Amino acid sequence: MKRIIIDREKCDGCLNCNVACISAHEEGSNFYTVNLGSVDSETRNFIKFDAKTGYTPIFCRHCDEPECVLSCMSGAMEKDPVTGHVKYDESKCAACYMCVMNCPFGVLKPDNKTRTKVIKCDFCEEKQDGPSCVKACPKQAIEVKEVSR
Amino acid sequence: MKIVIIGASAAGISAAKTIKVAEPDTQIVVISKEDSIHSRCMLHKYLGHERDAKGISFVHENFFAENNITWLKNTTVVDLDTDKKFVRTNDNQAIYFDKLLIATGASYFIPPIPGLREAKNVYGFRDLKDAQLLDSECKTAKNAVVIGAGLVGMDAAVALLERGLKVSVIEMMNGIMGLQLDEKSAEAYQQLFEEHGAEFLLSDKVTSVDIDEAGKGRTIHLASGKSVCADVIVIAAGVRPSFDFVEKSGIATKNAILVGDDLQTNIKGIYAAGDVIGISGIWPNAMKQGKIAAINMLGEKLRYEDRYALKNTTNFYGLATLSLGNINPKLKESFDVLIREDRNNYQKVVMKNGIILGVIMQGNINSTGFWQYLIKNKIDVSGIDKDVFDLSYADFYKVDSISGEYLYAI
Repeated sequence: MKRIIIDREKCDGCLNCNVACISAHEEGSNFYTVNLGSVDSETRNFIKFDAKTGYTPIFCRHCDEPECVLSCMSGAMEKDPVTGHVKYDESKCAACYMCVMNCPFGVLKPDNKTRTKVIKCDFCEEKQDGPSCVKACPKQAIEVKEVSR
Repeated sequence: MKIVIIGASAAGISAAKTIKVAEPDTQIVVISKEDSIHSRCMLHKYLGHERDAKGISFVHENFFAENNITWLKNTTVVDLDTDKKFVRTNDNQAIYFDKLLIATGASYFIPPIPGLREAKNVYGFRDLKDAQLLDSECKTAKNAVVIGAGLVGMDAAVALLERGLKVSVIEMMNGIMGLQLDEKSAEAYQQLFEEHGAEFLLSDKVTSVDIDEAGKGRTIHLASGKSVCADVIVIAAGVRPSFDFVEKSGIATKNAILVGDDLQTNIKGIYAAGDVIGISGIWPNAMKQGKIAAINMLGEKLRYEDRYALKNTTNFYGLATLSLGNINPKLKESFDVLIREDRNNYQKVVMKNGIILGVIMQGNINSTGFWQYLIKNKIDVSGIDKDVFDLSYADFYKVDSISGEYLYAI
């Protein structure tokens, strides 16, 4: 399967990945028009800042054994047997947030606006040329690679 | 190989899925007392008319057909023969198996209070059938009484309020969701429920129920001397594992079906998972148990190790809470109890000697999944020079160089 491989050393916290993610999930928007102040603007990836450790990219791993899928009581989270990616179906989600609790890496969060869904990386599956965050990273700190599973 | 699974909720379905992915040629028979697959965690959405029966399913519409699984619905198992390896159903079919998974869950319990068990308008809130019966009561009922303010009781209350009933909640403890919340976080929910019309009778208990000519419980008497009127009563006072049919089978039980770390019972080839084994009553753990039992039935030797069960999330009226571990320590002085709050958030961490024992995050629960990992693995955070509330997975960040998956640097 394809996974976004992270090189923490290369990240310099520019947050272009955040902007690209928000833009990719906002209809009709691009880097220049994206409204970062909107409550709808949610990034699915995060960069943690820390004086000691520097910048830490926190990106959904689409885990081989996804805890979010195992904890989902509505069937909204599913691992796609073909792509290996963990898909999230908003219409099924009951917003119990068991997945938020069970992701060992703290990747998942409720949406800010309604608290009725989960913000989750979809690997930009509708885009032909792969995840928007990867394309936006000027440091190649994140790259899509094929990994065995 | 032929595997029979009794029960079609979290553990049973998770097992069936796992088997079909690992060894698609395995013959599977799922026996369930229900005629639909549904997630009991969403019953309030059904009763509140937010979703229909199909909308609270947690599998694809044609799950059984797509996976070539035989599904015996509306069927209960009445007997188990471990020598000849078959189960007998209520319609007298003998279903033979090579391996058996018992995932029959639990049933609600009506305390032996005078009038309560006899009353015809008392319902549990466990299966779709319960929600359907309540749904038809809601068409005429005006006053609902919920006995028990745990998660199930509050789920029922939220749906009954949604249907426009006057709802009174009776609870023995002095706050709601006493297993998941502390005083402060419980008050926040209580206030929200009261704003939506609920009434709470806390630190009180039902002593008797008066029954009218039609056999319905109408007046509920409490230990405090108060009384409450009811048209419909929901009992949410806990559940008991369901395993009547194993009584004469030789399977070892003690209030639950006993299993080893491999989730096998004392009888070789017969496994059990989910609420029926009484280890934990939450969905994610039942799913994981179903998965592990399934893999072991296929001949592997996996152990059920991720047993941590003191965990929950709540989301009522848009207020979300994560609660983990021991959040109400009895001897407060021997623990470090740290609290951080603002207008929208209440956060509490209970720790001792650098080990986190309990966490409440109410309000913003963004990216809080790592806390469970810290607690269940007893990770010492005393060496990390920062405010405990500022911890995140970044403090434990490590990547597997081949797979790219995250690990914990500890």
